[in-house]
Amino acid sequence: MGYKTDWFKGIFPALVTPFTADDQLDEAAYRELIRFVLPHVNGMVPCGTTGEFSYMTLEERQQAIEVCLDEVGGRVPVLAGTGCKSTRETVALTEWARDAGVTGALVVAPYFLKPTFNEIYDHFQAVDQVGLPLVLYNIPQCAGTHFRWWTAEGMLLDFDHTIGIKDSSGDLPFMEAMFEKVKGQVAIFVGHDEVVQAALAAGADGAILASANLIPDVWQRVYQATLKGDLETAQYWQQRVQKLVRIVVRCGSTQAVKEGLRMIGLPIGDSRHPVMPGGAFRREDRDELRLQLELTGVDKIKQVPVTMDLGSRQVETSIFATPQTPRTITGFTLKVGEGFAGPPFQELAHVDLLLGLKDGPVGRAIERSLAGWGEERGLQIINERPRTLLVPTVTVRTAKQRRLFYEHAAEGVNLAIKLSVEDGFLPEGILDDVVFIVNAFVHPAASIAKRVAFNNYKATRYAIRKALEGRPTVEELIREKAAARHPFRYAP
Amino acid sequence: MPIKLPWLKGVFPALVTPFVKKTEAFDEESYRRLIRACLPHVDGLVTSGTTGEFPYLTREEQRRLAEIGVEEAGGKPVIAGCGASSTQEALTLTRDAKEAGASAALIVTPYFLHPSDKGVYQHFYDIATGVDLPIILYNIPQVMDRYLPRTVVEDLADLPNVVGLKDSSGDLTYTMELLEYVGDRIDLFVGHDEVVLPALAGGVSGMILASAQVYPEVWQEVLRLAGEGRLAEARARQRDVQKLSRIFCRYGGGVAVKAALKMMGLDVGPPRKPLKSVGGALIHETRAEIRLELEKLGKITVEEPAFTYPDGPLAARFGDLEITPEMVAAQSMHVGSGTAGEGLNKVQIDIIAGGKQTALGDAYALQLTYPLHGREALTTILEPALTVSPATLLLPVLPQKNLRQANMIYGPTQSALARAIVDALEAGRIPSTAVDDDVMIALATVHPRALDRHALYQSVHAAATQALAQAFQ
Repeated sequence: MGYKTDWFKGIFPALVTPFTADDQLDEAAYRELIRFVLPHVNGMVPCGTTGEFSYMTLEERQQAIEVCLDEVGGRVPVLAGTGCKSTRETVALTEWARDAGVTGALVVAPYFLKPTFNEIYDHFQAVDQVGLPLVLYNIPQCAGTHFRWWTAEGMLLDFDHTIGIKDSSGDLPFMEAMFEKVKGQVAIFVGHDEVVQAALAAGADGAILASANLIPDVWQRVYQATLKGDLETAQYWQQRVQKLVRIVVRCGSTQAVKEGLRMIGLPIGDSRHPVMPGGAFRREDRDELRLQLELTGVDKIKQVPVTMDLGSRQVETSIFATPQTPRTITGFTLKVGEGFAGPPFQELAHVDLLLGLKDGPVGRAIERSLAGWGEERGLQIINERPRTLLVPTVTVRTAKQRRLFYEHAAEGVNLAIKLSVEDGFLPEGILDDVVFIVNAFVHPAASIAKRVAFNNYKATRYAIRKALEGRPTVEELIREKAAARHPFRYAP
Repeated sequence: MPIKLPWLKGVFPALVTPFVKKTEAFDEESYRRLIRACLPHVDGLVTSGTTGEFPYLTREEQRRLAEIGVEEAGGKPVIAGCGASSTQEALTLTRDAKEAGASAALIVTPYFLHPSDKGVYQHFYDIATGVDLPIILYNIPQVMDRYLPRTVVEDLADLPNVVGLKDSSGDLTYTMELLEYVGDRIDLFVGHDEVVLPALAGGVSGMILASAQVYPEVWQEVLRLAGEGRLAEARARQRDVQKLSRIFCRYGGGVAVKAALKMMGLDVGPPRKPLKSVGGALIHETRAEIRLELEKLGKITVEEPAFTYPDGPLAARFGDLEITPEMVAAQSMHVGSGTAGEGLNKVQIDIIAGGKQTALGDAYALQLTYPLHGREALTTILEPALTVSPATLLLPVLPQKNLRQANMIYGPTQSALARAIVDALEAGRIPSTAVDDDVMIALATVHPRALDRHALYQSVHAAATQALAQAFQ
């Protein structure tokens, strides 16, 4: 018969595992991460899915767990990921963890080969007999096995040392079945960041989350508000971070969390291959994650003073900077930025943006084109401060395309400029000196006006920042060139 | 025990249903024209199938399609699609088909609500015992969201009226399983254009295909060659139509077939809404690809374009950018040229690099205001959001007349140029000062009929590498 502990509740971050440039466990960075989250959490999970346990050797997992135990120093419980593909390995690592002094073990369903549910039951029973408090872990997205409720119920009620289940499926009907069958007897944790508040409100005891590396304080607010029955506050914070966590959950969680932490200023390297930058966590996801970390109330990226050197004079501004942001921005003669946002395919936005001085090449091009072919080719000035020329990349042919381009895409571009003015990337002091050429397009099959506008907003906002910050860097280009996959390079 | 029908074999087109533009009314004339075009090459017809948009047709229209089919078929068998969500409706349609003179009814697994295996069996049982017409079962999980269970087919095959099964799944493990269990009792037809030859080799009796109204003669050859055991030749013919078949199966279905027929001069009108002629399942880019493939098959004629690769002094090739040889010299711009590839894959890349403060900076900005009609310049990227440095514009030398040409520029040409630039950066051939201070414009001359993306990528990469080496030597 499983049982409920008094320590397994609240917010537990599924810690990422930092690696050094030469691919070793980065102990210093790991300790820094633990110190960053510790004030806001009720427990730690080293070597979970987000911790890339499946890319680590047994020795590395042991090393990470030891560092975590040492840094935590007993202040909160440590629930270590000890799941492996085979029973033999899982039992051995769990025994090691028991002897090392962890508080409990989080054990994923055996994966790759797909055991049947009776084989899974026997697997967990063997792990349970190690004697360490055991948390079952359902994550069908990775393990390929979605527990049947009767399998989970049987394991939770039959075993001696099983204290709960972490369900990362996001399948709320499954979780409700768990409440129906075993609530009160063992702990039920949610592991899907997009449904945390819903699960807590429905009765979950806590959450183990990838995004709790980045925003442990926000999750603690959701948890505390739910405990007090203040659903409105809990909903507010869930919704405030919904986009942020959707990116983390669906767009390459480990790399997303690591790059997010790096933007915040923690010295966390990339995920191990084959996970890579610009992969499942696409560059546009990175740009959006950055915006979400800047949100008021989330407050993870701070504004810093930056100088914009226009050549003739300097303008001081304050922008949300990452460690990659230059503190002095020069080269305003001509800057190039490119932005991409989608899905859906039909409404995706791709923006080629030029930014430059009014009396430089960009300003001259705008005035010359307007005096010449501007009307014939459908060029339009859509903003005066900064003066912005909207250029259709693909000839606009139909009335529908015209409406989507000149109303909705233009609305998106203007919103990006407005918000960039507000957030300091386009300070008041440069608006009369700098002009824009924005090459945008609307696919002939586009229908959803709202997406056309929003994707063009996102693509333009990213492009403005990239132009000003000089991204992508040459290092990024060289590192990512081999794996780059241009979508139009291949035939259907 | 069922008796195998002697005529149930060979090549059957799953006919599209032509509609009039705007009104969406059934277009009888076009339908007759379509049948006459493919009849010489086929062994029978299939009306109101999935390709015929049967869920969007009325009972009267379905009956009419079968009647006209029988009139036009000149004695060849007509199989009428009689599938429906409810058993009652399927029964009604099957009775209509019999009265219309159809030789058999093609009946799809009941869809939308998901009946149990028992319900599925009862559905076909009621039809097979309720109407005296041969029945062909129809498995198409892509649209029905489920397979017709093998165990159900095993039992249905004992009914005297059940004579065949069309498998459109493309899942050969399923086809082989059916051949094992019911192949001796009923005839199996392949309904997935991408796996016709393997299915024939496995033992199916024939094919019911969307593409059998576009290139039925190819399928007759595949059938004949496979029957004669001439597999190498059969494979070659299957491969000739592999990409088009894939497009019909996966990227547009009947809509793509209608687009192809229109290109071939057989205008069968738009699909019924909510399907779109283009921009829905069939995207514009894929439609351009259909034209390429029909050209290759000789189904439509190709215009031989007149053009030349730029020649003469290199520094004089940038006149469209308003850059003169004097400016190149006076403002320390770098120029380089490279050529690679043969025939349709021959590519020339002429590159100019120079400071943002020079006339090239002005030319760069001006090109993004689209001064040269049909020759839109674009920022060179490895992939979206991975812009190369120094900032580089790709400018096609020849006007882009259609999306197919544009695809070759924006896909393989752009990404190969980008890769060549980053390779040169990594090798140190482009000086690091150029990264922030310079811009480049690459003029790309690509054959207007280029169509092999892989070969084009290799040519552009080689030509751009040469051009960069010359520019920065």
